Amino acid sequence: MKKTFTVLSMLSAVLILASSCKDDKKSNPAPNYTVPTTYNFTNADFSDATTRLGMVTEMSNLMKTALTGPLDGQTLKNMFSNTSSPFTGAAAAYNTSGLQLKDQTATLFQTDASNFIDSLVKVSKTGTPASRGVAGVGASSASPASKYALTATGVNYAQVFNKAIMGGLITYQIVNNYMTAGISSSVDNTNVVAGKGTAMEHNWDLAFGYWGVPVDFPTNKTGAKLWGSYSTQVDSGFKANKTLIDAFLKGRAAISNKDNATRDAQATIILQTFEKLTAAAALQEVKEVKESISDNIARNSRLSECYGFVYSLKYNPKRKISDAEIDKILGLFPKNFYDLTLDQLNAIRDEIAGQYGFESVKDIL
Amino acid sequence: MRKLIYTATVAVSAFVLIQSCSKSGSGNNPGNGGGNSTGFDRKGMLNNMSNNVIIPAYTAYQTATTNLDAAITAFTTAPDAAKLTAAQAALKTAYLQWQSTSEFEFGPAGDANLSSGVDTYPTNVGQINTNISSNTYNPDLLANLSAKGLPAIDYLLFGIGADNNTILTQYTTDAAAANRKTLLGKLSAELKANAAKILTAWNGTYKSTFLNATGTDVGSSAGQMVNQLVYDYEFLKNDEIGIPAGTQSMGTVFPEKVQAYYSKISLQLLLAHLQGVLDVYTGKDGLGFDDYVASTTAKYTDGTPLNDAILKQFATAKAKLQTLTDPLSDNIKTNPTAVTAAYAELQKLTVMLKTDMPSALGILITFGDTDGD
Repeated sequence: MKKTFTVLSMLSAVLILASSCKDDKKSNPAPNYTVPTTYNFTNADFSDATTRLGMVTEMSNLMKTALTGPLDGQTLKNMFSNTSSPFTGAAAAYNTSGLQLKDQTATLFQTDASNFIDSLVKVSKTGTPASRGVAGVGASSASPASKYALTATGVNYAQVFNKAIMGGLITYQIVNNYMTAGISSSVDNTNVVAGKGTAMEHNWDLAFGYWGVPVDFPTNKTGAKLWGSYSTQVDSGFKANKTLIDAFLKGRAAISNKDNATRDAQATIILQTFEKLTAAAALQEVKEVKESISDNIARNSRLSECYGFVYSLKYNPKRKISDAEIDKILGLFPKNFYDLTLDQLNAIRDEIAGQYGFESVKDIL
Repeated sequence: MRKLIYTATVAVSAFVLIQSCSKSGSGNNPGNGGGNSTGFDRKGMLNNMSNNVIIPAYTAYQTATTNLDAAITAFTTAPDAAKLTAAQAALKTAYLQWQSTSEFEFGPAGDANLSSGVDTYPTNVGQINTNISSNTYNPDLLANLSAKGLPAIDYLLFGIGADNNTILTQYTTDAAAANRKTLLGKLSAELKANAAKILTAWNGTYKSTFLNATGTDVGSSAGQMVNQLVYDYEFLKNDEIGIPAGTQSMGTVFPEKVQAYYSKISLQLLLAHLQGVLDVYTGKDGLGFDDYVASTTAKYTDGTPLNDAILKQFATAKAKLQTLTDPLSDNIKTNPTAVTAAYAELQKLTVMLKTDMPSALGILITFGDTDGD
């Protein structure tokens, strides 16, 4: 069975490559502009995206207090919409940034986020140790310092939120805004605003900023977060790092040089890669579930991460996967995460891998 | 506790992608080249490994679990002191054999998550007792991984009374005796069935799959063997001695976290495991990784040939372990200096096996730290 996969994947890779090599020669004559190797473009400014990723981090950090006592759900929701000056300490500047997360997210996510927060708050208030049928805080058996707030059915809503917002905010903005409307013909690509470039350049830069990587990525991986972290984690099986950095660099250079065909081609690559990356991240979590397979609490938390990634596909309006297929995968998760079996886990893995052509790498992502 | 990694399938497509757009004649395909080795007979090594190391290990383990199940069935059918002793002896034999069987968690064993079902410890006494009192046991639930396998049987045969007379009453006069016997029987039957399943797969189609994956890429047999060998070795170093001795808890010891805590054969198992790892490294009398490493120009940091250094370190670590005594759980408390010294030698071997050897062979270690959340 495996051998068949291997052979097939080799063949398909060769075929894909053979054709793409040809395409390169035909449709991409040597460009008359230089594509740089780092994202140090003149006037590139993606600080707004960076600020929003910082807000996500602040929310994640606050959620950790669910491990030690009742979680302040109202402050979390205020952080989401940036109302009532919710950010403190080094992040206090976010309060006056004029930016917020909520109005950038998919509509469905706005409802879900509120529910995820409420669920986590509820768990944080129980004051009981987590076990099957009992909501509360539990510790990993392998490393007891690692604690997780789980519902009675074993769901870690902090992780569901963290993964879902990667789809509901970041992927949503990139695929539904910056890689589509953000580069459409109605967007100005002539007037250069000092420090921000043209409106179209700026849109592209914000998309890059949302990826969450340094400008000289992947040579330098320092500070890579959210998708920037996951694109590296899955890199052994899915080369998203190179695909994305190449496309972002090429597309940005193309915009500055009015090469619309190349720009659009790169946008398509980015848009599709973010969907595949979501699936790869879900498979990466399956692998992590297996790495903590006998550790009931940690395993449930990791399964929650996997669930969050799969669920987040729903927020992607450009997705190739159908709603029915997403629901089918979600339906493979046990009603109670404590009741997970190896067969169920492998079924989840195989379904995701099958949808996205990851069969040959499904265990190493 | 038992973490598993999955290197079961292949990342060749990535290599193919890189290779196929490069200029023809660039050669040196990582799937065929094998580091800086010249002309080593990898297929010959795989042949020797399967015929003289892996399949004999699974065969012996299958026999040991069959004998264990028979001894337990005899005991639970009519419990007496002699049958308890016989079952205890059969458990020790199976546990010792497992130590030279756990190294091959890829292919059929990887698919079945064999190791986590056989040897997750410390065993979860609370979960075992819940399964006894409810008289339900679902082998498919991952939640039962810490309440099954050799450690659970170790507890049920050695840990539920101060001596064998007391243990025997748990299977005779105790209120839960019937349920306890039922669970014990299910656990040994499960071990036996899983062992047979893996052996059947190796004796069937998987052997040729193994023999034909002759590269050194992620999905190759050499790649999988090295990855699993190193992974299993880390399990030896960390779980069988390091964690109980407090190496990951700033010196706070956890004697109860040793392997086979109740039967008190932890050190014996450690030595058997180290021998098992060595046998995989050397391929016993035939072609092994020792020959493979020796076929390269790889040197250890002190300038000696890498293979010589590795073999020497195996011997050094073994000698240090032999200064310890069972029960290891007591030794950890009474002789911590010697325990720590043995651990330090095992740690040196880790670097050789995990860094130096894969680098010499051009093999990628694909397991690593998780994302930390």
